[in-house]
Amino acid sequence: MRRDLRGALLLLLTAAVQSSSMSAPGKPVLLSCRSPEKETFTCWWEPGSDGGLPTTHHLYYERERLEGTYECPDYLSAGRNSCFFDKNHTSIWVDYYLTVMASNALGNATSDPFKMDVMEIVKPDAPGNVTLRVEEREASPCLHVRWMPPSNTDTKSGWVTIKYELRVKKDNSNNWKEYTSGTQTHFSLYSVSPGGVYTVQVRCLLDHGSWSEWSNTTFVKISNYLQNERPLSMLISILSAILFIMAGLILIAKRKSVKQWVLPPVPGPKIRGINSQLLQSGGSDDVGNVLIIKQSFPPIYFVWEDQMEDYLIVTENEDWLSSNSQKRKKSLIPACFHFDSEIHSKESPCHQNDWEKDEEISQVDNNNKPFTNTGYVDFQRNVENVDVKHVDYSRVKEVKSDNIIFLEKEKVQSSGYIHFQRQEGIPEDYSRVKEVESDHLVVLQKQNAADLSCKDEGNHYTDCALHKPRKPHVCTELSDSGYVDTIPAPPLM
Amino acid sequence: MEKVLFAVLTLVYLELSMRVVSAPICSYGQAGCHVPSLADLFERVIQQSSRMHSVSSDLHSDFEQYFFPRKNLIGKRKCHTYDILTPEDKENAQRLGREQLTEVIVRLLQAWGEPLSELYQSMSQDQNQDFNLYSSNKALEISDILHELKDGVTIITEKMKLLGVLSNTVGYNSPESLVPSSAFYTQGDLDSMDHHDLLYCFRRDSNKAKNYLRILKCTTLPEPDC
Repeated sequence: MRRDLRGALLLLLTAAVQSSSMSAPGKPVLLSCRSPEKETFTCWWEPGSDGGLPTTHHLYYERERLEGTYECPDYLSAGRNSCFFDKNHTSIWVDYYLTVMASNALGNATSDPFKMDVMEIVKPDAPGNVTLRVEEREASPCLHVRWMPPSNTDTKSGWVTIKYELRVKKDNSNNWKEYTSGTQTHFSLYSVSPGGVYTVQVRCLLDHGSWSEWSNTTFVKISNYLQNERPLSMLISILSAILFIMAGLILIAKRKSVKQWVLPPVPGPKIRGINSQLLQSGGSDDVGNVLIIKQSFPPIYFVWEDQMEDYLIVTENEDWLSSNSQKRKKSLIPACFHFDSEIHSKESPCHQNDWEKDEEISQVDNNNKPFTNTGYVDFQRNVENVDVKHVDYSRVKEVKSDNIIFLEKEKVQSSGYIHFQRQEGIPEDYSRVKEVESDHLVVLQKQNAADLSCKDEGNHYTDCALHKPRKPHVCTELSDSGYVDTIPAPPLM
Repeated sequence: MEKVLFAVLTLVYLELSMRVVSAPICSYGQAGCHVPSLADLFERVIQQSSRMHSVSSDLHSDFEQYFFPRKNLIGKRKCHTYDILTPEDKENAQRLGREQLTEVIVRLLQAWGEPLSELYQSMSQDQNQDFNLYSSNKALEISDILHELKDGVTIITEKMKLLGVLSNTVGYNSPESLVPSSAFYTQGDLDSMDHHDLLYCFRRDSNKAKNYLRILKCTTLPEPDC
């Protein structure tokens, strides 16, 4: 009896000892799931205690929009304690409810349900094939990095978009410098200096998922030999600096001629009718004198250098002259002026001295008759005031023939000039005044302008009359040859 | 003085010439504006959808952290866009064809116009919490982007029809007929749970829209690297 009891007790004890290491499995825990390319995914779990007995694990899932419970299609591809869902079993944007059941001889244990959506678990593989290439340039080297996208991602159809990031560190420091590359699979680093070892890593991201792991480290050493080129470039820069300095010195030494060449002198302006030299040489009195027309003088003398107005030469009918021959002398008026439109201040014969000299002649009677070529006949009246400002005009009443002009008797203005305008089409001729009959009749000599010559009889002669149709130089002479030259129009004031 | 005048004239000229260069962008080819290409339109629309998804995703995760610190909340929810049939993987999406894909996109976008504005209003009313101020701003932003995105997709479909890439059968069905009146419309005020659900559903649908738009672009435009 006792033996049986003891044997039973022993059995019980051994049974008890044995059974304490065996139990139902512990609860497994689902760790995580991951989809590397948004087309398949894998889930991993951690088993609990196995209870001393061989336990098996099964993963079951339910899916939104899908009735029923299903088991993991592939336990092997992804390793131990994992479940791989291939494309046929993967749906995006639906919820999966996963549970893992551990079972052994003594019981089962089920993990907590794990809910996931493939959209949320996307984490790509690291980019591969990272290559570095050093480009040596004169100033500083640069580092070109190239890599390949992870092989399982499909970027061609637009299903996913990849973004890259790389980080660089120099030598053995722990400071990584990060750069974003966008969607390019290459990147250039310019802030590298020679004489160091650079380490580069790349990682990528799909859509709004998680970053991949950093790629394998790649490093490259940039050599130092570039520093030898510096002395040469320094030499070149010094030489060019010397050249520049020399060129600058030469320029400074010859600055006047350079200035002449660069900035040629600009001709100054000339006021029509004013002789600037005269103004400069004399004071304001001279100017005033010049402008004032003295009463004994025909007011045509002077500084009007570029007068273009011509005057008519009046009659030359012999008949008229004969009766008034004694007056011929008086009809002459010396005048001197330039028709030339160019400003020849040097050639100006009309100066004050001429003027003064001519004063004596002025025994002219009331009618001084300066004449011009084209259209005007100026008569100076015997006016008391020498004020040039009052110019008198007499109007032409009638042109009898081409050499007789009748003037109106009444005065147009109070000063001493008579102007009249010649008809058009009349060739510019010089005509010598033969005689002034009265104060309304002038007789011209029929003569060609070509016969004009400057005589030297009086020393009031100033210049030669060049018969240029447009630019005659006309000079005046005080002679009694009866010749009247063209005279510039007096200032119409 | 002349220098000032010259500077003013130069500035005026530059401004006018720049105005001439940067003509307004228009989609229907009105006179005087610069019509963007289909590639540009797609680019813009994809950017917008990406932004929309990222903001809603951030808001959802902030929401979860603030209100439901417990992870992995299991709750079988049903989004109000449940009935819109959408392709659920790459092959199905590519098999769908341009017309159907476009229709799906349009339906998705149209289904969310009202719920988002409701979400914004509900969030902005609940002002006693700091989080709601932050979240209501984000909700407003999402709502605005969605509105622009809808317009953009409309423009793209018109242009594609014009180019002959899309058949004219793609119509615009009224959203009411497609989207069933979901539960929360009738419940009156939305609470935090409803906010959370809405955000969860919208995060998903915006991701769908983005992906579909990208596939549409890559099948329409013959680019080697999409």
